[in-house]
Amino acid sequence: MTKRIRSKIARGSGELAILSLLAEQPLYGFEISKQIGERTGGALKFTLASLYPLLYDMEKRGWVEGHWQANSAGRDRRYYRLTPGGRKQLAPLKEEWRTFFQALDTLAGVSHA
Amino acid sequence: MPDWNRPDWKKIVRERMASPNSPLILKEEVIAELAAHLEETCEEAQSCGLDASAALERTLQEVNDWHVLAAKIRRAKSKEDPMNARTKTLWLPALASLLGASLAMTLLQRVGVRPRLVWTGQVEMAFYVPWLALLPLFGASGAYLSRRAGGTVRTRVTASLAPVLWLLLLCILTEPLELASRGFSSLLYFGYGLAQYVAIPGIALLLGALPFLRESRAPERQPRTT
Repeated sequence: MTKRIRSKIARGSGELAILSLLAEQPLYGFEISKQIGERTGGALKFTLASLYPLLYDMEKRGWVEGHWQANSAGRDRRYYRLTPGGRKQLAPLKEEWRTFFQALDTLAGVSHA
Repeated sequence: MPDWNRPDWKKIVRERMASPNSPLILKEEVIAELAAHLEETCEEAQSCGLDASAALERTLQEVNDWHVLAAKIRRAKSKEDPMNARTKTLWLPALASLLGASLAMTLLQRVGVRPRLVWTGQVEMAFYVPWLALLPLFGASGAYLSRRAGGTVRTRVTASLAPVLWLLLLCILTEPLELASRGFSSLLYFGYGLAQYVAIPGIALLLGALPFLRESRAPERQPRTT
């Protein structure tokens, strides 16, 4: 598998993970990265370097929007919430990944590995 | 050096992301957001039992290459895709310079302008003097368009030199054939060819580009550390 394809898969999975989390509630960057790590048992990990370029790109495409707000500790953080455009993206993106994993499962039996 | 007990995260982010080659500085809002992320990462590392310096070290491992991160963020924040930026700063200005120089040569030949022949003692060189006189205009147009689109000095030079870079490529590509047919004596013609088609027109193009190279697009002043 080429680096380009790996990179696209990583990017696509990142988009889905972020959209899914933000569909539940607005979160700021550190929380997004922490929740993704915790909920996937560390299988998916976002560092600062991988998270923010993706978040800013999703913001540019109108999928998420950021706004500054104080967190529970009273410190200003930039919270991201899903836009209607982002919500529209979520279902087809889930479907794409479902198809992708089904195809891999058919070929390699990955779901039973 | 940051204070190990309470690092100034904004200062760390600014310093590590600053690049002398980059014409743009990230917005303060982005720096504040990244600094906040690092701050919480460091606090979490300390809450897991790491001492301050170890926590700082682990936190900074969040980013392997700050300049790469800065470039990615700029691309993500930019309103246009990177291909457009390169097209605007390099390819279009280079094309303008190349087309201008080519059209001028074609027109001059159509109206019957003859080259001035100069005998060097070994080889006769042909110079289209009116064309050479026009070249600074095309060098200037390439550099100007590139600068207007935010091109770096190197990009402006490349764009302005496009006509001779094309000729240089042709010379290099045809030289093996010349070598095969004429032997090593072709190297002499190659040298004169480079002077005639690349070096002298290149100087003319650069003369035109010069005014647009001097005025560098200076980076915005970096905000003071808070």
